[in-house]
Amino acid sequence: MTDLQVMTAVNGDRAAPSRDRHVTLEVRDLDFFYGEAKALKNISLDLERHSVTAFIGPSGCGKSTLLRIFNRMYDLYPGQRAEGQVLLEGENILDPKLDLNLLRARVGMVFQKPTPFPMTIYENIAFGIKLYENLSKSELDGRVEHALRGAALWNEVKDKLNASGLSLSGGQQQRLCIARTVAIQPEVILFDEPCSALDPISTAKIEELIDELKAKYTIAIVTHNMQQAARVSEYTAFMYLGELVEFGETTRIFTTPEKRQTQDYITGRFG
Amino acid sequence: MTDHTVARFDQELGTLGRYIAEMGGIAEKMFSDAMDALISADMDIARTVVETDTRLDALQRQVEELAILTIARRQPMAVDLREIVAAIRISADLERVGDLAKNIAKRTLKIGPEMRIPRAAVGLKNMGDLALLQLKNVLDAYAGRDLEKAKDVWMRDAQLDALEDSVFRDLLTFMMEDPRNITFCTHLLFCSKNIERAGDHTTNVAETVHYLVSGTNLPVERPKGSLGMTNLAGKA
Repeated sequence: MTDLQVMTAVNGDRAAPSRDRHVTLEVRDLDFFYGEAKALKNISLDLERHSVTAFIGPSGCGKSTLLRIFNRMYDLYPGQRAEGQVLLEGENILDPKLDLNLLRARVGMVFQKPTPFPMTIYENIAFGIKLYENLSKSELDGRVEHALRGAALWNEVKDKLNASGLSLSGGQQQRLCIARTVAIQPEVILFDEPCSALDPISTAKIEELIDELKAKYTIAIVTHNMQQAARVSEYTAFMYLGELVEFGETTRIFTTPEKRQTQDYITGRFG
Repeated sequence: MTDHTVARFDQELGTLGRYIAEMGGIAEKMFSDAMDALISADMDIARTVVETDTRLDALQRQVEELAILTIARRQPMAVDLREIVAAIRISADLERVGDLAKNIAKRTLKIGPEMRIPRAAVGLKNMGDLALLQLKNVLDAYAGRDLEKAKDVWMRDAQLDALEDSVFRDLLTFMMEDPRNITFCTHLLFCSKNIERAGDHTTNVAETVHYLVSGTNLPVERPKGSLGMTNLAGKA
């Protein structure tokens, strides 16, 4: 090998491996305001189909705000508005004429604290399905079972489907919420710190579940646990003060981040 | 670089760095002393080299233990993770350099009075000087997180391989001239191989420093000297 060849090899390019990409959710030049305060500044990124994208960053960086735009949750509050574009399979979900119920059926959400409805386990799942579809009892039973299996909860609750959803443990409640989301057969599932109220074993089960769910859904997860982001996601977005500082493949973000701020945050050198 | 929010983490990384620096110093001294002992047939120095090796082995274990504990405690990411992985790798390479120096010292003790042709060791001295310079430079590259210096060491290993070829030919000539030279020349051949191997470990360290600083690996193939004779010597 000549010196030149060696040096070329040494400095060789590190382009990401190319693969077939299908973008489910496309964010373009997105700004968000809480009244006068600008909470998100010119965010652009893509959520790839059947992959997990993690959002990390210190409290108040805008990651949960961004997640809540993906199913227009902010519409519930006056004075909050988004500008720019968020395209779900090419359709701008910020369009005021959009049917929000349909949007939320396509983009499901799981919250930090498990939020089962005060009704039976069965009804927790069936409730959402009945809002959107008119099914026979046997079809509905099938869908409830399918959703509970999909959320890895079936074996634990199959003999007590008529028990209250609130009687389950925290981890089970969270999986019930995931089952409820999955039951409506969404395209995207948003997780907002889904494990922060759970013990390590329940957390591991949810992580395992997320890994299975990505075969069918496009997933976005906000987490404060960096190791969790590194474990479950294919892509990671680091946000700070309402800006998207760095976005890329998770393996790269957690091993060789390009931006100083990202490096400082993930290595615990912040502030 | 900014300090960690958790100060103990910085202390642990600092300790790892100091262990490596100490190991580097010991390996350098052992190697330098082993070469002096060989060239000047100084048995006292040779014995000291053999004894020093235990200190290097102990330090390597300390590095490994602290590295494993730090990974378990801190779940390091990015540059911190590379820092710890680098410490594990470099300590292993330095420990091997120490072993090779010890082996040269042991052979010196064996050859002792049988050294019939002092000039046979001249080529070895040149090899040793170069290997030592490389080792010093790579330790500097580690201490200064100096990417260019690490690359420079990595490129220069070919020179050591070329020198080994020439030493191999010289020693072969001495052996052919007089069968009584065969025993000590064979020992010297092994010594030259040891020096060459120490050079390889030095290049490993250079590769690790490159990884530590940049997060990227150098190519698998590194520049080689005249391959034919090097390979032949490798089989000797």
